[in-house]
Amino acid sequence: MRGVPLALALTAAGGLVLATLPWLLSDFLLALALSCLMFAALAVSWSMFCGPTNYLSLATSAFFGLGAYVTAWGLESMPYGLTVLVGGLVGAAFAALIGLAVLHLRGAYFAVITFGLTELTLHSVTYIEKTYSNTAGRIISEAPENTVIYWTVLAVTLLAVATAILVRASRLGFALSGIGGDEERAQTLGVNTRRVKVIAFSLSAFFPGALGAAMAVRWTYIEPLSVFNPFIGFQTVLIAMVGGAHTLLGPIVSSVFFSLLTEFLRLRFPYAFLIVLGLLLVVLVLYLPGGLASLFVRRGRQHA
Amino acid sequence: MPEALLSARGVSVRFGGLTAVNGVDLDVHPGELVGIIGPNGAGKTTFFHTLSGVLKPTEGRLMVAGDDLTGRAPYVYAAHGVARTFQTPRVFRDMPAGENVRFALEFAGRLRKHKHDAFDDVETILGFLGLTEMAAVPAGALTPARQRLLEIGVALGARPRVLLLDEVAAGLTHTEVDATAQLIRRVRDELGVAVIWIEHAVRVLMNYVERVAVLHQGAKIADGDPRAVAKAPEVIEAYLGEEGAPERIAA
Repeated sequence: MRGVPLALALTAAGGLVLATLPWLLSDFLLALALSCLMFAALAVSWSMFCGPTNYLSLATSAFFGLGAYVTAWGLESMPYGLTVLVGGLVGAAFAALIGLAVLHLRGAYFAVITFGLTELTLHSVTYIEKTYSNTAGRIISEAPENTVIYWTVLAVTLLAVATAILVRASRLGFALSGIGGDEERAQTLGVNTRRVKVIAFSLSAFFPGALGAAMAVRWTYIEPLSVFNPFIGFQTVLIAMVGGAHTLLGPIVSSVFFSLLTEFLRLRFPYAFLIVLGLLLVVLVLYLPGGLASLFVRRGRQHA
Repeated sequence: MPEALLSARGVSVRFGGLTAVNGVDLDVHPGELVGIIGPNGAGKTTFFHTLSGVLKPTEGRLMVAGDDLTGRAPYVYAAHGVARTFQTPRVFRDMPAGENVRFALEFAGRLRKHKHDAFDDVETILGFLGLTEMAAVPAGALTPARQRLLEIGVALGARPRVLLLDEVAAGLTHTEVDATAQLIRRVRDELGVAVIWIEHAVRVLMNYVERVAVLHQGAKIADGDPRAVAKAPEVIEAYLGEEGAPERIAA
């Protein structure tokens, strides 16, 4: 693709601008920006694999939670930056493992089994903690400053966007769209679809793992139920689908939109905000099944 | 006789109690143009699935250029130079026609050790098929006849040594069928690719192939020169159940 250097340059420029926010924003607004970044990275990395292949993975929470536990277990012996890297690698390794086992499933079966595996991971961690550490949760005592967390999450987000740009332009991305179009046909045209899927699924899971590790220090108390929260996975899928998982910009715009909207509704209608959010989702899914990005694509086609 | 390019030995496929393909032997040599005919439900397409790795045979062995590929995945067959089309065109509908061909070149084509002299770029292949104008059109928006042509183009992009064509002429007009048949001859003549061609429209096929194999109830009942095969009593009998069969077989 010809636009790759331009897209990477824009990402870097955007990153530089966003890096100045800690000096410009209040603590409240910076926390909001952090949430936008986190969901942008989650939605972009989810779309990296699930967008072109039309798979629906609900395992994001599993990778996120494992990353968070890497920090909870390792922060005393490792610097913060290293826990983020290890969190990402653990997420990728776990995804490769479950990918080998379940990526031959499709559609609802894949969605259900990835959800089930997330629950399994949650309960395994709970069991391990109770049996061997005799604890239900962990307190994170020495958290880095908020600005350090912000810049770390920003770095992971930029890496996710840059990776997504490169994957889209690569043979890997081409193979993934062939798998999404007709997997068996792609095989007869020389694609080792199993290997391609495992590699891409694993690559896309690095980011939720790293984000879990980076965000864990935001909460002073970590327990399996909070970091393996299935809503993180659902929210990621919704943001990506509403934005348009086939596009790069859709999930980014949609994550900002959702984070701001959620915050606004939560402050304005503290009791009814989930109802309003739910209704909005129903309307969006019913009337814009291709995501917000389809609005622009449609307009573009009319011009052509 | 040189070594067979593609060789099926005693290939059987059973689905539960039903035997779809029953102990079929077939050898195809470099540059051959072989037809496979048979009444509906004779097991032609199922046999094709085994030749391209899409379906694992219940029994029997498959050799491609001397390598035993029995039970291997379809991409291994593609890497050995076996390319195919499907009865219902299975192009990537959302991708432009040119990207469909590029996909084959990028994966199967690149895995192939021996390049073809020609046909290693999208423009040449689309030009050969008369689809140059369609390069940017999403494959799903092409007419069914053009999608069939594009399927052949995608298969050529895989740089095959042997090309498996599954009813590429079905549903085409008489003129289109003849044009397709001539195209298939050119693929063989100009590229030296061996072609195995299944067709239900037996008349056309008999005019163009040099050798024809007949499948009936999953078993091979004849294999040889089209004129001789058309006169074989067991072939005529196999087709008798079908309306107007004798006229259709007669070349």
